[in-house]
Amino acid sequence: MRLTQGTFSFLPDLTDAQIRAQVEYCLEHGWAVSVEHTDDPHPRNTYWEMFGLPMFDIHDAAGVMAEIDAARATFPHHYVRVMAFDSTRGVESVRLSFIVNRPAHEPGFALLRDEAAGRTIRYAIRSYAADRPEGERYG
Amino acid sequence: MTVTGSPDGGSLTLEAAITDSGFEQLLATLDAELVGLVPVKTRIREIASLLLIEKLRGQVGLSAGAPSLHMSFTGNPGTGKTTVALRMAGILHALGYVRKGHLVAATRDDLVGQFIGHTAPKTKEVLKRAMGGVLFIDEAYFLYRPENERDYGQEAIEILLQVMENQRDDLVVILAGYRDRMERFFQSNPGMSSRIAHHVDFPDYTPEELLLIAGLMLEKMQYRLSPEAEAALVEYVALRRAQPNFANARSIRNALDRARLRQASRLVTDPAGPLTRQALMTIEAEDVRASRVFRDADAGSEPGDGGAR
Amino acid sequence: MTLADGPLPLVAGKRYAAGVLKYAQMGYWEPDYEPRDTDVLAVFRITPQDGVDPAEAAAAVAGESSTATWTVVWTDRLTAAERYRAKAYRVDPVPGSADQYFAYIAYDLDLFEPGSIANLSASIIGNVFGFKPLKALRLEDMRFPAAYVKTYDGPPTGIIVERERLDKFGRPLLGATVKPKLGLSGRNYGRVVYEALRGGLDFTKDDENANSQPFMHWRDRFLFVMEAVNRASASTGEVKGHYLNVTAATMEDMYERADFARDLGSVVVMIDLVIGYTAIQSMSKWARRNDMILHLHRAGHSTYTRQKAHGVSFRVISKWMRLAGVDHIHAGTVVGKLEGDPDMVQGYYNVLREPHNEVDLRRGLFFEQDWAGLRAVMPVASGGIHAGQMHQLLGYLGDDTILQFGGGTIGHPMGIQAGATANRVALEAMVLARNEGRDIWAEGPEILADAARDCTPLRAALDTWGDITFDYTSTDTSDFTPTATPA
Repeated sequence: MRLTQGTFSFLPDLTDAQIRAQVEYCLEHGWAVSVEHTDDPHPRNTYWEMFGLPMFDIHDAAGVMAEIDAARATFPHHYVRVMAFDSTRGVESVRLSFIVNRPAHEPGFALLRDEAAGRTIRYAIRSYAADRPEGERYG
Repeated sequence: MTVTGSPDGGSLTLEAAITDSGFEQLLATLDAELVGLVPVKTRIREIASLLLIEKLRGQVGLSAGAPSLHMSFTGNPGTGKTTVALRMAGILHALGYVRKGHLVAATRDDLVGQFIGHTAPKTKEVLKRAMGGVLFIDEAYFLYRPENERDYGQEAIEILLQVMENQRDDLVVILAGYRDRMERFFQSNPGMSSRIAHHVDFPDYTPEELLLIAGLMLEKMQYRLSPEAEAALVEYVALRRAQPNFANARSIRNALDRARLRQASRLVTDPAGPLTRQALMTIEAEDVRASRVFRDADAGSEPGDGGAR
Repeated sequence: MTLADGPLPLVAGKRYAAGVLKYAQMGYWEPDYEPRDTDVLAVFRITPQDGVDPAEAAAAVAGESSTATWTVVWTDRLTAAERYRAKAYRVDPVPGSADQYFAYIAYDLDLFEPGSIANLSASIIGNVFGFKPLKALRLEDMRFPAAYVKTYDGPPTGIIVERERLDKFGRPLLGATVKPKLGLSGRNYGRVVYEALRGGLDFTKDDENANSQPFMHWRDRFLFVMEAVNRASASTGEVKGHYLNVTAATMEDMYERADFARDLGSVVVMIDLVIGYTAIQSMSKWARRNDMILHLHRAGHSTYTRQKAHGVSFRVISKWMRLAGVDHIHAGTVVGKLEGDPDMVQGYYNVLREPHNEVDLRRGLFFEQDWAGLRAVMPVASGGIHAGQMHQLLGYLGDDTILQFGGGTIGHPMGIQAGATANRVALEAMVLARNEGRDIWAEGPEILADAARDCTPLRAALDTWGDITFDYTSTDTSDFTPTATPA
């Protein structure tokens, strides 16, 4: 399967030039860009591992691209995403989030059904990859 | 920057290229902002012209290879190195050699860490912020401390060398400092030296230039000198220049601030008549002559700190 | 026009003698009144009957929406009447109209119960709209002081927290109403939900009248829908949702349905405007207690919001709903099948989303409004839109919105999943291009065509619907075009 989290997941994987353009867009708006990675892509997993702190006070995408490349080189078999934080009043949250690296093989999720009273079912989603411990999940 | 020609000739107008890039305005701003510095301004204009012509040559398909833009500014403190670096960032941006045109100023403390593994992230942080613009490293020779083998400055130098060579599109580096120390630094670090394309020396201001600077500063602060105070200042400048730790424009600034202090004291303790607007604005000769510089010159003693007279 | 020279108020002795007086004489017309920061303000579009003075008409509206009655009453003197009287303080002619005026009225804060839209609406519109001296009357806009805004909890979730819960940032969200509106059984209904969510939409939706009918009981709909939602979530790795409509005959029934939705793990429930303001506020409180997104369908609003001369502007309804506390509200598409002039719709969106609104006469915002930290409502664009309009939708409406393509998903020639995928690819491609700095107004069709090269469903969608537009003259348009100078 193809994990479709992030803003551009339905498009073909972004090229470096496209990633750079998106980062420039974020910097123009004064957003702080950060890079995160994980091998647990469950939809409720909010906290991926941070690859360095969010980058504040950056004027040009070159510095950010270096971090993105470093993350992809260090964790080639993990999901890596780029996020942009906006600190203006009324927002104070994430403005853009898109995946820039994914494992070669994405096994997907199993749907677990726990039958409760009446016809009610309690649902849970389990990632097939998570059958293995952290760090050993993808390649 | 728009070009009015086609790759195989056509009508390339220099005028158009110059106006489009705001070339003249930037150099004019530099002219207006900084007193004197004629050799520096000439050199900057030369460099800027070279870059402009390189751009135009590129547009018609000629190329001398990617230009090296890294620079070294040498001279005493207060001679305008940081100001010119800032203007240079603007010129490079206007000519399309840097993408954003901002300036990040750093010293050794910003680049070098205190323990193992601390330096690389620190240096990279500064570089990230400077990308797309100009990195100005003041007193760059402090990065190199060969006498201390545990010193991490070398690591910062290595990283800088890498970036200066491989990411010339992303960053321009300007190193600055005292001339003799910079020379020694370059001798010990030939890698660094070879990456510097333009060495610009900032001579000390002449006494006339210093007085001009004083005049501009006073005008800005809305003070004036009485004729006697002017004469006193001329003498002051001559004496002070000869003494150690002269920081050019900064020393002038300090001197004027001291004079203001004495004027205020004088007006409060011993006002000669009502406080008119004139009195509030005017610095008298005694305010200038009270300086230690005059006494030390007479006594021939060494001044202690850098400029506090 | 010297409207300021309307009839003057009378001294006390004459004021309270029995008999009929003009409203302006009773003190409801005060042209010198400076509205206080704590006053609630309203602007009405009044069309007085022939021969009725505009200031008098404005004063009558002020009176009848506050303390007056048609004749003088001595009991007024038992009160601090000056305080409780609403004051019409300004009347301007409507640009380009011979018989309409904008009447500005100020209400003292004490006239209202804290935190109650039922009370607010009963006060402002409860009495005055059938008034004979007026041919027509429309409530155009209101200004709420921070003192009043703070008595409300506002949206239980809000745009920011909704995005954080869904983990979806940087683009509009996508939805679709299940079609046909009525008649599907629970199992078949769930099939539509699964296909649409699996194909790429973020949400699917019950229609406003999908409550509990013989062909599908509400419990069965909920059960089958949640199976579909969770299946789709597992297939994609995304958080998905379906607005389960909990509208019912009584509050007790509504709570029962909402609790069941929560127990099944839904992230969102839905209510219709017709349940009434009191029920809406109750459901808002419930949603906050149960960490649920609350979607409001504005069922029935067009009966009173659509005509320019008479009714209540949807702008006011939007403001009331933000105070009452809903997380989604349908607010217009501009380019779809339902009524919506671009300036007016952008006005509604601004009122719902901005932390602070400036005066913007062109978009119908008559007052500066500070929302005092109240969370923002996500506007929903739904009704006859399709992927071929993606550049216009993004351009007019921005990122913080939900674009709902019911027919545009379910009617896709290659099936529902394909329809959903076409919409999602079109949207992502448009956002990507816009962020790169391209002019999506001019290049929109080209961007869509490029994206369609790698996406057959999108190609098919563009081929099927590319030429569909809904070009009718709007009934509700701006009174203030950029060239006109407001009075």
